[in-house]
Amino acid sequence: MIDIKKTYKNYVDGKYVRSESGKTYTKELKNEFYELPLTSKKDIRDAVTSSKNGYKKWSSTTPYLRMQILYRLSEMIEGNKESYVELLMDHGFTKQKANKDIDESIKNIVWFAGLADKWEQLAGNLNPVSEEYFNISHQNPIGVVFSLSGSNVSLNELLMSILPSLTVGCSVISYSEENSVMALKFAEDINNSDFPSGSLNILSGKFENILDDVSKHVEINLVALHKELDNEGLKTIEQNASESVKRVFSQPSTEGFSSILPYLETKTVWHPKGT
Amino acid sequence: MIDWQYSESIESPDIVSIKKKYTNYIGGKFVEPKSKKYINTISPSTEELLSKVPLSNEKDINSAVKSAKEGFEVWSKLTPNQRSRYLFKIARLIQERSREFAVLESLDGGKPIKESRDFDLPQVAANFFYFAGWADKLDLSWATKSLKPYGVVGQIIPWNFPLLMLAWKIAPALATGNTVVLKPAETTPLTALLFAEICEQAGLPPGVVNIVTGDGSTGSLIVNHRDINKIAFTGSTQVGKLIQKSLAGRDVGLTLELGGKAANIVYEDAAIDQAVEGVVNGIFFNQGHVCCAGSRLLLQESIHDEFIKKLEKRMQSLRVGNPLDKNTDIGAINSKEQLDKITGLVNEGVEDGGELFQTECELPGNGFWFRPTLFTNVQPSYSIAREEIFGPVLTTLTFRTPEEAVEIANNTEYGLSAGVWTEKGSKILWTADRLEAGVVWANTFNKFDPSSPFGGYKESGFGREGGRHGLLSYLKASS
Repeated sequence: MIDIKKTYKNYVDGKYVRSESGKTYTKELKNEFYELPLTSKKDIRDAVTSSKNGYKKWSSTTPYLRMQILYRLSEMIEGNKESYVELLMDHGFTKQKANKDIDESIKNIVWFAGLADKWEQLAGNLNPVSEEYFNISHQNPIGVVFSLSGSNVSLNELLMSILPSLTVGCSVISYSEENSVMALKFAEDINNSDFPSGSLNILSGKFENILDDVSKHVEINLVALHKELDNEGLKTIEQNASESVKRVFSQPSTEGFSSILPYLETKTVWHPKGT
Repeated sequence: MIDWQYSESIESPDIVSIKKKYTNYIGGKFVEPKSKKYINTISPSTEELLSKVPLSNEKDINSAVKSAKEGFEVWSKLTPNQRSRYLFKIARLIQERSREFAVLESLDGGKPIKESRDFDLPQVAANFFYFAGWADKLDLSWATKSLKPYGVVGQIIPWNFPLLMLAWKIAPALATGNTVVLKPAETTPLTALLFAEICEQAGLPPGVVNIVTGDGSTGSLIVNHRDINKIAFTGSTQVGKLIQKSLAGRDVGLTLELGGKAANIVYEDAAIDQAVEGVVNGIFFNQGHVCCAGSRLLLQESIHDEFIKKLEKRMQSLRVGNPLDKNTDIGAINSKEQLDKITGLVNEGVEDGGELFQTECELPGNGFWFRPTLFTNVQPSYSIAREEIFGPVLTTLTFRTPEEAVEIANNTEYGLSAGVWTEKGSKILWTADRLEAGVVWANTFNKFDPSSPFGGYKESGFGREGGRHGLLSYLKASS
């Protein structure tokens, strides 16, 4: 009998796609050997186009529905827990550590699911201006977010690089290098859930290949780096970003309420009161 | 028919005594610049020399930053209540010397006394009062675990609202426990230097507020100083991008409040006379030297002709002239350089094919002046419809449907502010939701309050000033 090995592809616009370059890079685990898409500049451009449309759909989904879609994701991961644990163990995790990573993941998805219809109440408020005006500050999601995931293999860390921005209605391009087998496996659960196409695109490859294009792309509104880059790389990204006043966050907090703050734009609306 | 004679009503400049030469304010002392160099500051309404202020060099900035660092050691050890009381005291002192500041602001910057007296100064005091009360309530402000000040903040401010921009910068920075090195604009340094006297009067610990004057090179020295923990800049998008670039790869916080090209959308069901007033206030307030000015008038096609007729009539009643005349609506353009920029863009607009209307009025012989100007018959591609003019120049575009209005309004790299005029509530909310702008004024324009956050989307910058949200610009949320 010959084993049939699964081929992982990028997940863009709700579809599994190979890199248009046809290139791959390899990842050898304890038991398995994977060839993963080596994302090209063109793939990034396609992902941004998809994310722009995905943003329109996802940000206009009601908070109530966003909450349920996120919660459903936790149900699916719970259902597929065994396969995640297996993959982590293939990366060298003990069974106990692997279980812990998945349990943490589920816990965090549930936390963010419940935040989807509450963060506006925590982040916005009426402003007591000293004239006869109704004045309210509320938030919009910032738009298309590129998120570079960390170098550890972990479903939980991958999720923490995605959930804060996704929860508030941003569309996310999640990019993994070391954690890519996990990320592309996770894409299957995203595909089976109710996220609109383009709201979350998941790609793998070498970040250095696309660093320049990502930081220069004017339709990416924010770059979140959850991985420590060398100073030269960070400097290049931030210099490129300045050309369109793009927001760049290096290792932003993923903890609690402060995790969502980078992804919000505050809009203040005034209206006179009178008869 | 009665022949009405105009009689002016001049605010006396005697209330303020302008020194021949000013010094920097560093470490609680008024100190001569180590550069030994000075720049002139003139009155833009007469071109007369008002005074000389330091052109600070690297040594001056080093000593200002060093002093702010030492000041931080003292300031951060005070109780929040003590910090709060210093800010309350500053607010009170500003109220007491308000007329003096207002006259100086109008002399040095060219804005009408009506505005500096009734808008700028009351808002300056209000900002210090507002943030005074936050200083001892930071733990209640946001549901995040730990909020800490940055330390030494470099603040670079523009010439359009010199003292108000100082208040927007210094009040929240101090309330959150930071210390500052502030550089006022090259053409309007005097009220900031007078503010240094207030700091002294209030007994503020040395080094908490440091004020250094100079030009763009001085600003750049602050941005590039290795001991600066955060930069807060208000000014052009062009300079903002340069600052963002300079800070690349450095662990320095940044907030930017940059340019704008706001759409002021008037629907056919608006209260037209109110909308005309709002549109005039939106663009001609402060000579149009306002980053959030409603510089693109978006008219629904069906009301275009009627609206333009009323608007031209209203514009004709605007009084241009001496900033110290209490009747003046439009004062002097801030500098020769800015006047040249406005003139250049308006000429370009005419060459492109825009239809020009300018009010008939007599302009003073000396100083920098520009007539209230309206363009109609403009295509969205014209530079007068795309670039920030920062002067009393309004550009008109038309639309047919609300969807089209929103599309035109958002079709710009800027996203600072926008206006909506309609009597229909649901249309206001629908439009406001779709506008990519940090401030949306509905059936009003150019309203400000210290409790109301201000700041932009997209290339208009990031971070907010004012309100609870403004605190986050000066606090690091650490886990």
